[in-house]
Amino acid sequence: MSNRQNEKSQTAIRVLQGIVILGFLVMFGRIVQLQIIDYETYSPLSMQNSLRMERVKPARGLIYDRKGTIMVENQPIYTITITPAKFNSHKVSTLSTLLQIDEELVIQRIREAQNYSWHRTSRLFTEVSFEVFSAIQENLWQLPGIGHTIESKRHYPTDVNASHLFGYLREASLEELEASDYIRLGDYIGKSGVERIYESYLRGERGTEYIRVNAYGQALGLYNDGALDIPPVKGSDLITTLDADIQALAEKLMLNKQGGLVAIDPHTGGIIAMVSAPQYDLSKLSGRIDANYWRELNTNPSRPLFNRAISARQPPGSTFKPFMGIIGLQMGLITPQTQVYNPGFYFRGRRYGDLADPGNYNLDRAIAKSSNTYFFWMMDRIASRGQLNTWSSLIQDFGMGPLNYIDLPFERSGIIPDSTYMNRTFGERRWGIGDLMSLGVGQGMVSVSPLQMAVATASLANGGYRVQPHIVSAVKEPNGEISYTNPVFEKIEWIQPDYLRLINQAMMNALMEGGSRYYGYIPGIPIAGKTGTAQNPHGENHGWFIAYAPADNPQIAIAVLMENSGFGSVSATPIASLIIEKYLTGEIKREHIYNHVMNFRPQIPLARSVENE
Amino acid sequence: MNDKREFSWIVIFIWAGLFSIGLIAIYSATQGPVSQFLPSFIQDNFYRQTLWIALSIVALVSIQFISPRIFQEGAYFFYAISILLMIITIFFGVEVSGSKSWLRIGPINFQTGEITKLTTILAAASYLTGRRNITSENLKTAFVTVMIFAVPVVLLLLQNEAGVAIVYIGILPVVLFWSGLPYGISLLMVAPALIGYFTVLNWKWGILAAIIITIVIFFLQRRTWLTVTSLVFGALVIIGTEVALHHVLQPHQRARIEAFTNPQLDPLGSGWNVLQAKTAIGSGGLQGKGFMEGTQTQLRFLPEQWTDFIFCVVGEEFGFIGSSIVLLLYIFLFLKLLNMASNQKHPFAQLVIVSVTFVYFVHFLINIGSATAVLPIIGIPLPFISYGGTAFLTNTIMLAICLNLDFNKRTFSIYR
Repeated sequence: MSNRQNEKSQTAIRVLQGIVILGFLVMFGRIVQLQIIDYETYSPLSMQNSLRMERVKPARGLIYDRKGTIMVENQPIYTITITPAKFNSHKVSTLSTLLQIDEELVIQRIREAQNYSWHRTSRLFTEVSFEVFSAIQENLWQLPGIGHTIESKRHYPTDVNASHLFGYLREASLEELEASDYIRLGDYIGKSGVERIYESYLRGERGTEYIRVNAYGQALGLYNDGALDIPPVKGSDLITTLDADIQALAEKLMLNKQGGLVAIDPHTGGIIAMVSAPQYDLSKLSGRIDANYWRELNTNPSRPLFNRAISARQPPGSTFKPFMGIIGLQMGLITPQTQVYNPGFYFRGRRYGDLADPGNYNLDRAIAKSSNTYFFWMMDRIASRGQLNTWSSLIQDFGMGPLNYIDLPFERSGIIPDSTYMNRTFGERRWGIGDLMSLGVGQGMVSVSPLQMAVATASLANGGYRVQPHIVSAVKEPNGEISYTNPVFEKIEWIQPDYLRLINQAMMNALMEGGSRYYGYIPGIPIAGKTGTAQNPHGENHGWFIAYAPADNPQIAIAVLMENSGFGSVSATPIASLIIEKYLTGEIKREHIYNHVMNFRPQIPLARSVENE
Repeated sequence: MNDKREFSWIVIFIWAGLFSIGLIAIYSATQGPVSQFLPSFIQDNFYRQTLWIALSIVALVSIQFISPRIFQEGAYFFYAISILLMIITIFFGVEVSGSKSWLRIGPINFQTGEITKLTTILAAASYLTGRRNITSENLKTAFVTVMIFAVPVVLLLLQNEAGVAIVYIGILPVVLFWSGLPYGISLLMVAPALIGYFTVLNWKWGILAAIIITIVIFFLQRRTWLTVTSLVFGALVIIGTEVALHHVLQPHQRARIEAFTNPQLDPLGSGWNVLQAKTAIGSGGLQGKGFMEGTQTQLRFLPEQWTDFIFCVVGEEFGFIGSSIVLLLYIFLFLKLLNMASNQKHPFAQLVIVSVTFVYFVHFLINIGSATAVLPIIGIPLPFISYGGTAFLTNTIMLAICLNLDFNKRTFSIYR
């Protein structure tokens, strides 16, 4: 080998050594840059990568009845989610096998999710079984883009449905999201019933959890053994005044009827049972909402979502008479001895009919036999003396007309006309005595809800105290602390014990002698009650019944409205009577009355006409 | 006989050091705390690699007893056999993640393209020995050499193994340069890669690179035609790259380039690997997070951590100290091998050792360049460290041949 060639080789070696060293220096410089200079940049990045902050939803508070029976609880639901952009379409068959769901349906659901968003996570299948959920969880590593969540739904373990009392949960609307700092997209919140009113107590406090995840988003466990985690605080429990047995019975009795029922503890205002018929099935609105069912509820002509018990406006009919009596005594229009002759009608410009037997009536007999003449006569004098406003305010003191501020949404006031109302309705000085006469017997413009009647009846039962009706008596925090709601309970100043004694006797007589004795009388239990029938120009009359028992020591006051059911003594009285019997004795002995109620059907014109169409 | 003390033990130590680091990294990547999420065949990688290393040790020792003449005389035969194997692979090979580069023989899978690296080097060296007559006027020898390389490159492209093909293209200029190709033309050969690289980063840098290269070529060769060629060539590369970037490349290919130049554009998509690789290495810091403690590694933020991204495992878990040791081992190996080449009298031996060095170097540059986002991501393994049996065996055989040639450097020249 020549020297020249060797020299050339040595130069070439130098060049190659140079290239190799240059390559080394570039790489070395790069790791100095990445690992020493930019360490501060990349270290937090890798932390973020491996940690995922998850919001932990707290368990929603439970709802108890007055005896401590759980009526509303939570049930886990297992949901499989998908992020379409990350999903590998070759995995459809694996997914379908694990889900035990037909491949075509899986593809269809994936397509729906894709249409919604490729990058956002959608629910693929909700309420899958625990077995399916576990199978998916174990195979997540081979199903990129598939995830899972455990959510919970409301579960109603007793026979109590109480759709209008408990209310349903639904995903928060955009307005609700904007109005609240707490609510996040996708949160379920109470939309009606106590779920809505007590939302802020029931929902608890969200927690946070730091979870180590891998690049596939699979959770690997808690970071730092959960040292940074904030555990969720369970929602507070609600202790209600409801009696699960009575509520269940009331619901059963109101089945296939239309109307409202309110049973109330006269000494506290606590609702023992409340039904608005027809009800809806809360369990169908829990968790995944059945869209067809929801549509049906909203289009059903009998409006099952409407809470008749607190929002109906119906004339109280003759159940108004005991209150008229007390007001008459207070206004000095009558004394217990005042007698009014009933010739079968009352005449004032025209004849006002009276179905009671002709004869002389004092207050006791007028209430017990439900004579109209006595009260037409009374109203005539009120109207003639221009005392409409006095009358109106005294009636409203019983809780008829104004809102009673029950802890339920959508309560509606009734109508107890005064001069302002009359002027607004008919125009200034365009109304006269003739327009007021029927108010005396609870017909015409006067209208109330079952709740208002129950509150008014409670006042008769408790010695003249105005109660604030309520469902929830106490809120029990997760730490065991109990805070009581403080419903109003105050004396209606002007009511004299003498008045009440008179009315009590008259209402007891009504059940012994009046038309309601057959369905209303309970052997061994003195009941004070009054039936009513509200004239309904659109169809069959509405039946009313108010009562409290035992008459000498009232434990329960009740008001029942049965729409399109004719006489209150036949439709409403037996229901109220059965509830009183069950509440006071714990059982129902009068099978025939129970059967009568269960077989009773109202004649609802609207529903019928819709059917015919 | 030669004195055993002349055997280059230092190379053996570097080799052992690299494969030990490799075993540690493979173990961490495939046996870590959350390895249950990995498919079982990957969990076995560590044990398979150990077996391959054992086999390679046997090969390394055995090769020391072979006469160095065999390598030169059998070069064309080996070349032909390996090309034949590659053709067979195209028809009967096993497809693994899109590329058909594996040939199954009994229970063992061979990557025929790996073996061909060695045989191509031997064939080219054998051909060029005694033909160091390449000048800028007589390029016939150079052309034949290019053809020797072109055959496996085409076959690799058919196997869908573009990454490995790049290695061949990378060594070719070195081989030609060593064999006497004028500096200017050698530079012209690597110019497209350099200009293209800078154009991808920024077209202005591409123009700058083209001008500098042209000036250097002019001073090296002082030939007008070569200088003009270089300038035209450079302009074509810049225009071609720009056109390809914006008009020719498919969106996913373009995404890969963009991911390299600007990973933040699409951090969850094509920029993912680039960003995660940098994060893994960067978050290792000075000392690293510790063996099996690397969150990026253990939580599998990167694919192929036992092969293409193995440097990230080292960088994250052993930090700057660990990655510096790896870089230093490599630079020692390269310089030692080049030193061996310069001590050789025999042109065949020189050329083989230089070529082998640059096979390692190109792998080293591309693999670590990809992992540290200096280069766009090209998936090729890191010699002696990455998991991969055939590659490890081939790399070891190449090293063994270098050692053999070095050990026999005095006797070998007599055979000529």
